[in-house]
Amino acid sequence: MDCLPDYVKCLRKEIKSRASGLYFHSLYFGGGTPSLLSPSQVADILAGIRTAAHLLPDAEITFEANPGTLALPYLPEIKSLGINRLSLGIQSFSGAELTMLGRLHNAAKARQAYKQARAAGFNNISLDLIYGLPDSSVSSFKKNLAEALALAPEHISLYGLTLEEDTPMYRQVQEGLLPEINAETAADQYQAAEDILAKAGYRHYEISNWAKPGYESRHNLTYWQNRPYLGLGAAGHSFLENWRLANTSSLDEYLNRWQNDLPPTPSENIYLDLENQLAETIILGLRLDKGITAEDIENRFGQHVMDKYFPVIQECTGLGLLEKSDGGISLTPRGRLLSNEVFWRFLP
Amino acid sequence: MSQSATRNFCIIAHIDHGKSTLADRLIEMTGTLRHDEMCEQVMDSMELERERGITIKAKAIRLRYLSKDSHEYRLNLIDTPGHVDFSYEVSRTIAACEGAILVIDATQGIQAQTLANVYLAIEYNLEIIPVINKIDLPGADIPRVMGEIKSVLGYDEDAVIQISAKLGLGVPELLEAIVARVPAPKGDGKLPLRALIFDSHYDPYKGVVAYLRVADGNINKGDDLRLMGQGTEFKVLEAGYFAPAQVAALRLDVGDVGYVATGLKSVGECRVGDTVTLQHGGAIQPLIGYHPAKAMVFAGIYPTQTDDYHELREAMEKLSLNDASLSYEPESSPLLGHGFRCGFLGLLHLDIIVERLEREFNLSLVVTSPGVSLTVTRTSGEVLTVVNPNEMPLPHEIASIEEPWVSVVIITPSKYIGTVMDLVRENYGVYKNTEYLGQLAMSELGQRVQLHYDMPLRSILTTFHDQLKSRTQGYASLDYEFVGYRIANLSKIDVLVNDVAVDAFSRIIPPDKAHEIGEALVKKLKEMIPRQLYQVTLQAAIGSKIVARADISAKRKDVIAKCYGGDITRKRKLLDKQKEGKKKMRQIGKVEVPKEAFLSVLKLQ
Repeated sequence: MDCLPDYVKCLRKEIKSRASGLYFHSLYFGGGTPSLLSPSQVADILAGIRTAAHLLPDAEITFEANPGTLALPYLPEIKSLGINRLSLGIQSFSGAELTMLGRLHNAAKARQAYKQARAAGFNNISLDLIYGLPDSSVSSFKKNLAEALALAPEHISLYGLTLEEDTPMYRQVQEGLLPEINAETAADQYQAAEDILAKAGYRHYEISNWAKPGYESRHNLTYWQNRPYLGLGAAGHSFLENWRLANTSSLDEYLNRWQNDLPPTPSENIYLDLENQLAETIILGLRLDKGITAEDIENRFGQHVMDKYFPVIQECTGLGLLEKSDGGISLTPRGRLLSNEVFWRFLP
Repeated sequence: MSQSATRNFCIIAHIDHGKSTLADRLIEMTGTLRHDEMCEQVMDSMELERERGITIKAKAIRLRYLSKDSHEYRLNLIDTPGHVDFSYEVSRTIAACEGAILVIDATQGIQAQTLANVYLAIEYNLEIIPVINKIDLPGADIPRVMGEIKSVLGYDEDAVIQISAKLGLGVPELLEAIVARVPAPKGDGKLPLRALIFDSHYDPYKGVVAYLRVADGNINKGDDLRLMGQGTEFKVLEAGYFAPAQVAALRLDVGDVGYVATGLKSVGECRVGDTVTLQHGGAIQPLIGYHPAKAMVFAGIYPTQTDDYHELREAMEKLSLNDASLSYEPESSPLLGHGFRCGFLGLLHLDIIVERLEREFNLSLVVTSPGVSLTVTRTSGEVLTVVNPNEMPLPHEIASIEEPWVSVVIITPSKYIGTVMDLVRENYGVYKNTEYLGQLAMSELGQRVQLHYDMPLRSILTTFHDQLKSRTQGYASLDYEFVGYRIANLSKIDVLVNDVAVDAFSRIIPPDKAHEIGEALVKKLKEMIPRQLYQVTLQAAIGSKIVARADISAKRKDVIAKCYGGDITRKRKLLDKQKEGKKKMRQIGKVEVPKEAFLSVLKLQ
């Protein structure tokens, strides 16, 4: 990682150029492997932000880490820099599943990393697990979930596996080396998790996320409420003044441009007109257990959501996918697993 | 040139036995075209014909030939369609000739379709010149083919000419044999005109151009002529022949083969098989009985995009200008929209029309499963012709149903007799008799035998031909001919999707196959219809009796698990695509069915 010192320098230039004067209530180190950064590089970036922008005193500062890459002194050091939330990509506690997913760690390492984080003083830790893996069953998944719960994290994310083309696992399924993903089993696993996590005191606050009360990810709520965010670094995505922007995903281009003090051209820049702002606000908002309220939509867009989408809302409530509640709409438990069927109907 | 120096002949050959190559060689070796002027297979002019190796429309070419004893001859080579669907056109071509070259592939021997055409030629008293082609190929088995020709057709070895049309070997001998053995045309130039139409095509400038053989009298530019069968009248705008380019001539004499431009607007007004005579002082007796070729096979043709209906209508109109045997009637289906119920001479004819519509008119089509024309008598005594399963009266209103039968000839090595018998029996065939054609070179195959059956035409419209080929490792060949209508035991099977009957899926089937076919239909639909938000019930029924059922359980999971800042645009695109996909779905009641599901059920045999 010889380029890391240069990368941090460029990042600081981008911070200065794009974040100056802004107020942030959360900061998220993620999308890739931020734990490749040394604690002093993390400190450098944080200093850049604190100098240029306003990081609110109670800001949520999350650090994403893979259990396999953490060395012992690392966690206390970043804790001391102000990182107050840790997201550990555990994915599974089964050795066979971790191998299938191409992960470097094993269950023991995962548990060890978690314990070290606790010892370092992290009191807001999120774990993520994957369901719907080929060859998995409801009981194997429940075992995984029990392992996670035994660690008592504040936050749990559950992601259904989707096979993307051109991935090794996709090819293995195509070639018959792995069985097809069974959608029925995946649905059963998800529903089992809903029961178990509710009983364990976690709130199912978003389609794929559960949290102990008060530990919902403030950062991610920004996305689902369709509020602005600034993404820094290569491949960083932003939503600013109704533009969806993406930085180039080419590290070379990112470095080249900033080394010459030129911002790279965005690889994506899409302006959302009012119709699309509204549609995306509804779609993202419906991911949350509270759904959307007519009042909030009216305040933000001056539109009467219940009237404008009356036929769609009627259809989806009739299908048992949506329910009306407290002056708004939200997904039913069935609707969560079939949410795409609801969402596309709100598209302009 | 005198009548005595004219020879009119055709070539009879199975597909790929070398008819077009031989025609090319005759054109080249008589000097009609120089080698460098030849494009391969001069006589197959439509692109489709050349690709499929079959000749759809007959054409005639005039060759000038100087024999070894220095006499000049006029050879009229009339091309014949090689496929069973066009047997009516073949018979008119044969009626226009005095001789036929029978081409048999030295590696394959006599095939069923060839034989049918040879018998037809013998019936019309044509002089047959048997030719063994492809003698240069390593797999040539000349003694065996000689034996077949002897035992089936009775020709001695010295009457058979061995050639390689590809290399030109034996072709000079064949040309000599044509002038020596094929008789000159009879007929009297002084009698009133009688000419037989053996082909026609539509030309946007000259109207219908009819190809004909002058049997008596002669044709001059400007003559007022009349078709004896149809009663159509026209003036000869132009007369001439093909050599192979079109050459206008002052007149066509008795015994000649050529064309006349009629100015008529559609080939339907000037059908093959009719006799042309003078409007005033014409002949009394036509040359042969005229009856228009009758459509035997019917299918619905619909545009995939319902907006393309007008384009389809125009395309059908254009194609039918040139194809008198294509019939079409508008029909509509709640699911498929507006389209046409079309009648064809056979399956190949259907395939060719669909391919031309798609290729030449750039249409995307939905074709329903082909069926036959049924004669249904109601209990009231009323007689109906049913070409669409949905016109079938209710079971209790039907007194009787009749369906077309064909007489089938299958030639196969004796090793496969049992297999062929089983296949025919499964398809309701009735055995008539067997003929032995002679020993095959590969002794394990046994003898070549010719099996005769009668079968419902309906059976041949399914996978019969494919099955015959695959069960006999490709050795068997098939020919069939309409023999008449016979009483049938048939019912209409319907497919219901959540209790809604889908008209496009209805078929006419024998009731004893109802369960099997019903199962196959619902199974296919179950495979093809994606899970919906509620359970979908698929049923196959005859009247109110359910014969097969399958359920598609409700979809439970369709979710984007991860949706954070960097995912939103990509996931939004997936939802946009999902919405687009829904637009392309067809609705059966509330159930969304992809177009592919439709097509696969329509194609299911």
